[in-house]
Amino acid sequence: MKNRRVKNKLLPYIFVSPYILHFLLFVAFPVLFSIILTFHKWNIISPMEFTGLNNYVRLFKDTIFLKSISNTLIFLVIHIPLQIIVALFIAEILNQNIKFKGFYRSAFFLPVIVSGVVVTMLWQQLYGFDSGLLNRLLTSVGLPKIGWLIDPAMAMPSIAIMATWKNVGLYIILFLVGLQTVPRHYYEAAELEGANHWQKFFKITLPMINPTIFMVVILSTIGGFSLFIEPYIMTGGGPLNSTISAVLYIYKQGFFYYHMGYATTLGLFFAMLILLVVVTQKKFLEKGE
Amino acid sequence: MIIISKILFKVFIPVLLIITTFGCTKNSKSETDLLYWSSNLPEEILFAKYITTEWNENKKTYHIKFQPVPEGQSSEEVILAAVVGKTTPDIYSNMWQGDVEVYGLAGVLIPFDTLEGFWDFINERCDSTTIAEVTSSDGHIYQIPWKINPIMMIYNQNIIKELNLKEVPRTYSEFTSAAKQFQKDSDGDGYVDRWFGYSEVLVTWWQRFFDFYPLYLAASGGAPLIENNKAVFNNEYAVGVFKFLKNLYDNNYFSRERLSTKQDIFLSGVVATRFTGPWEIAHSEKFKPAGFEYGFQNMPVPDNYTGPVYTYCDPKNIVVFNTCINPQLAFNFIKFALSKKNDLKFLELTNQLPRRKGIDENPFYKEYFENNLKMKIFAEQAKYVKGTDINPKLKEVFDLISQEYEACVIYGVKTPEDAVRDAAEAVDLLFLD
Repeated sequence: MKNRRVKNKLLPYIFVSPYILHFLLFVAFPVLFSIILTFHKWNIISPMEFTGLNNYVRLFKDTIFLKSISNTLIFLVIHIPLQIIVALFIAEILNQNIKFKGFYRSAFFLPVIVSGVVVTMLWQQLYGFDSGLLNRLLTSVGLPKIGWLIDPAMAMPSIAIMATWKNVGLYIILFLVGLQTVPRHYYEAAELEGANHWQKFFKITLPMINPTIFMVVILSTIGGFSLFIEPYIMTGGGPLNSTISAVLYIYKQGFFYYHMGYATTLGLFFAMLILLVVVTQKKFLEKGE
Repeated sequence: MIIISKILFKVFIPVLLIITTFGCTKNSKSETDLLYWSSNLPEEILFAKYITTEWNENKKTYHIKFQPVPEGQSSEEVILAAVVGKTTPDIYSNMWQGDVEVYGLAGVLIPFDTLEGFWDFINERCDSTTIAEVTSSDGHIYQIPWKINPIMMIYNQNIIKELNLKEVPRTYSEFTSAAKQFQKDSDGDGYVDRWFGYSEVLVTWWQRFFDFYPLYLAASGGAPLIENNKAVFNNEYAVGVFKFLKNLYDNNYFSRERLSTKQDIFLSGVVATRFTGPWEIAHSEKFKPAGFEYGFQNMPVPDNYTGPVYTYCDPKNIVVFNTCINPQLAFNFIKFALSKKNDLKFLELTNQLPRRKGIDENPFYKEYFENNLKMKIFAEQAKYVKGTDINPKLKEVFDLISQEYEACVIYGVKTPEDAVRDAAEAVDLLFLD
């Protein structure tokens, strides 16, 4: 009897224990360990060496890291608006009564499920200076070639264009869902009042899909901050560090040079930065509602 | 509820305990077994299989268990993970020489010089320069020189003939002049699409092993980059190499575009030369078009250079980890694997050079080199090669050089003098840290 009572008392804890164990092992411990690590020098192989605030001081003096943050922000500034405009435009078209709607929806979604590495290799060929398709098109109409990936001023915008192409399908779907929730009778009432297409779009559609826009902005901001595969494969962070993203730089510090303490400091600082940007965006967008 | 409780207590929890207890233990092997990891290149797997089979069939005292290094993004990462998890093999045969110092100083490698018979073995296999090159800063030797792939210049013989050159360019001036002659816009679209050479334009640190570093060694007669934790490369040789390469990029004799993502640019005649290793022979023989002729030459040197032409040799060595319960037995196996006979087998199976002194003149290998004349060029070059300087921060050093290389050589935003000076200063700062 007593045995059963003990069992019954223990049972709820046993049920939640997998989650608690998982949380402690894979969330709480790594976070705590990371914070401790930021005050140490550690190359994984040798014992950790306490260095106080050295990693934090180094971070603010590290011009390449600051450059990588600015590169990431440049990427976001190009990528997010481009993503929203293109996705919303295509979603608006796909929301109309057009033929082969299902086919187009699948086609636009296809790049999302293709491996990032494959997409990156494909675009590397397209962006080729001498034999790339894009430059061949330009020269065939008498325009000069563009150094898509070899011109420091063009490399990051080129990566942003490619990332937009890769991810736009997902945001088209999200916008489509948002567009389909707008009640038809709002448009009918506006038409009766003589509103044109643009007026309907700006006065009804945009305000009504604001929550979707908010979600898309947050998702693409977080996705954009984690920019890694594209510069890692296409440019290695060059030319002249113009495409080195913050995550790529943190990776290099951690896994090329085994500066684990410093890489963790960078990672923690970067996570705080993402949090700050996302909270600011949230406040700004909520204010606009 | 009671059934669930019973299942939890009687089945799930014991199973979980068993899995967590035994799932994390090291691969079990008997005390007389040794685990050997080779690289995962097919040819090297063949060789590793051959020597382990030979050993296990003929030496009954203990058994060698062989497996290729487990799959990972790179073998370096796999080794690091194994070191951290204490799941390292006893013997590993593909350790890049530049990585050894970090592991050696951290105490995860066995110093071979403490083992019986080591000095006799190493003095028979290597010359004093090679022994000095692999001696750690603490005076111990944690690696046995195994194989090298010297970097040389491969050239398209047909193009050299077309250009009516008397000989393959040997100096900076000859190379530049041939490059000027060869450069062309073959499809008439106003853009150059044939270059005399190509080197990878990525800033990744190890790419400099295929351009700056072998050229620096060639120009300086094998001078070091760092000595006693101080940069010693701020000199005329490094500046000269930067100037030479910068001139090639400035004049579009080398392409700034990444050409390596396309079809083989050397075999398709897009470039006339490349800086590469002996692995190119097997590849070229397999894929070259009909009538395609090629050869190898030393790295280009400054015009006034005299003396033997050195190069980087991409050395890979053998180490024994401290998880090995009997390092002396491991060493005995390594001696067997690196015997004269097995070095010949290694040559035949992999077309890579064992790092053995006088290999080009040793009668034992004569027949192989007579049948593989292109490999003989590399064997002759092997007398004048260098690996890496002994330093635990080598990757950072090459990264700093690579940053300045990109700024100066490829994009021309710095003068060679400034770039080399800035790289040297940054390296000195690195050692102050």
